[in-house]
Amino acid sequence: MSLIITEQLTKTFNGTSAVDGLNLSIKEGICTALLGPNGAGKTTTLNMLTGLMNPTSGTITFDQRYRGDRRQFIGYLPQYPKFYGWMTGEEYVVYAGQLGGLSKIDATKKTEELLSLVGLDDSKKKRIAGYSGGMKQRLGIAQALVHSPKLIILDEPVSALDPIGRRDVLELMRKLKEKTSILFSTHVLHDAEEICDDIFIVKDGKVVIEGDLVELQRKYQKPTIYLETEESIEYWSHSIKNMDWLRHMQGTKNKLTITVNDIDVAREALLSNETLRKLKITNFEIAKTTLEDLFMEVTAG
Amino acid sequence: MNQWIILFNKEMKEAIRNFKWIWIPLVFILLGIIQPVTSYFLPDILKNFGGFPEGSMLEFPLPTGPQVLAETIGQFGQIGVLVIVLAFMGIVAGERNSGTNIMVLVKPVSYVAYIVSKWLHMSLLAISSFSIGFLLASYYTFQLIESVPISYVIKGAVVYSIWLLFVTTLVLFFSVLFKSNAGVAALTLGITIIISLMSSITPDLLRWSPGMIASHSHSIFQSGEAGEYFWLSISCTIVLIILMIILSIINFKNKETVTHTT
Repeated sequence: MSLIITEQLTKTFNGTSAVDGLNLSIKEGICTALLGPNGAGKTTTLNMLTGLMNPTSGTITFDQRYRGDRRQFIGYLPQYPKFYGWMTGEEYVVYAGQLGGLSKIDATKKTEELLSLVGLDDSKKKRIAGYSGGMKQRLGIAQALVHSPKLIILDEPVSALDPIGRRDVLELMRKLKEKTSILFSTHVLHDAEEICDDIFIVKDGKVVIEGDLVELQRKYQKPTIYLETEESIEYWSHSIKNMDWLRHMQGTKNKLTITVNDIDVAREALLSNETLRKLKITNFEIAKTTLEDLFMEVTAG
Repeated sequence: MNQWIILFNKEMKEAIRNFKWIWIPLVFILLGIIQPVTSYFLPDILKNFGGFPEGSMLEFPLPTGPQVLAETIGQFGQIGVLVIVLAFMGIVAGERNSGTNIMVLVKPVSYVAYIVSKWLHMSLLAISSFSIGFLLASYYTFQLIESVPISYVIKGAVVYSIWLLFVTTLVLFFSVLFKSNAGVAALTLGITIIISLMSSITPDLLRWSPGMIASHSHSIFQSGEAGEYFWLSISCTIVLIILMIILSIINFKNKETVTHTT
């Protein structure tokens, strides 16, 4: 069952399309990642899903079971959440809860619960103006959850955080996954791999690859050879460019990563290559690609 | 209905915490006291510091009560309006520029409630400040100069309040329309000054205009009766206020909350 379906979603700014015929289908009960390099149109897409921006063309359909204003069913955390600095953390979440339709008593109760979930118990009486970036991010998650939405949308929730803040937020998202559907954007594949079920890789406003993460991993894992040499390998690498067993190649001065079709043929060809041997191999390793390589390949090429 | 109260309370709390509820009334209080007091002492001041030759027998008549009240209104119309405009120029534009409106508007918040609650709060603050300032002005006028029938004072003050409502609505309207705080302030002040000036220069052409309201309240202080075409200008002003609120809401709805990504 899909919570949100977009069809041919398009957004144009002064003639250039940031989002270009995007088809998404966000399923209920799982965590979905919108993955792509900076400028791929992720934030624009999320802004249209939340209703903050109007699509130039295309449609957004929310699950028929949830009628009325779709904002009721969505909790949203922007990439750079901006709060009223004069409020305390507690006041803000209560305010957000009341705007989401809770009574004052319910909102207060829910706030209590959420602030301890996100670990802001100690600073809830402090003005938000004095919060750190990580605290604001966690407060932002609390305000997104306060009205018990069906779907929470997080825009780059961990990108601006230090490693500890990042770990905290990812851990929190893992907990939330049990209770609610999550859609989040990121440009770091690793974050997506850690907690997601579905991913959509977008580039230039279009979906390039989509599907179940485990399935994608299986489908796109290709045998790979890592090569390291003492002498520069750069010049030599041109000589294997047109071999039929080669899929993709990428490297620096002394290192080369080669994705291949047939591992046996490739190994044979490489190990019997006289010129390569003269470059003094220091490392020859056979492995499988990760999605990272796929991501790089898709988004860079 | 509930949501209106929540949004209104937020405006209220914000204005209390950043002291708008202190310094705006304070300005009106000061203006309200200074005008009658200086009118009372003006003859003495002129006698002592006016630089008139010794022994010249000049009489400076005290102004009448209605005159002092009218002059107070004049002060409110200049400095008071300036303060209101500066205090509220960012009411919508400021939230949009800082992005604090984003997390509010992704909640199921009605755009009508968002704008109207802001209008209600601004108007309440403006009218309260004016009332307390004018109350003090009347008190000192009665004490130092002369009494004016209470009903004239109240009627005149109520009429003048409509002009203040017009000004607050104008600030809100421009704050929805434009991004720049300075632009909002300049436009609002410019328009109020032009309307007031034009109305006093060519009253015949601008019988309908909100700028006539001040002179109507002057004549109410004087005689209890407003000038000619009083209802015309009052109803035009009210229609303009309602129209501007509606246009603000429509414009706010049509404007995308987020126009670019950061």
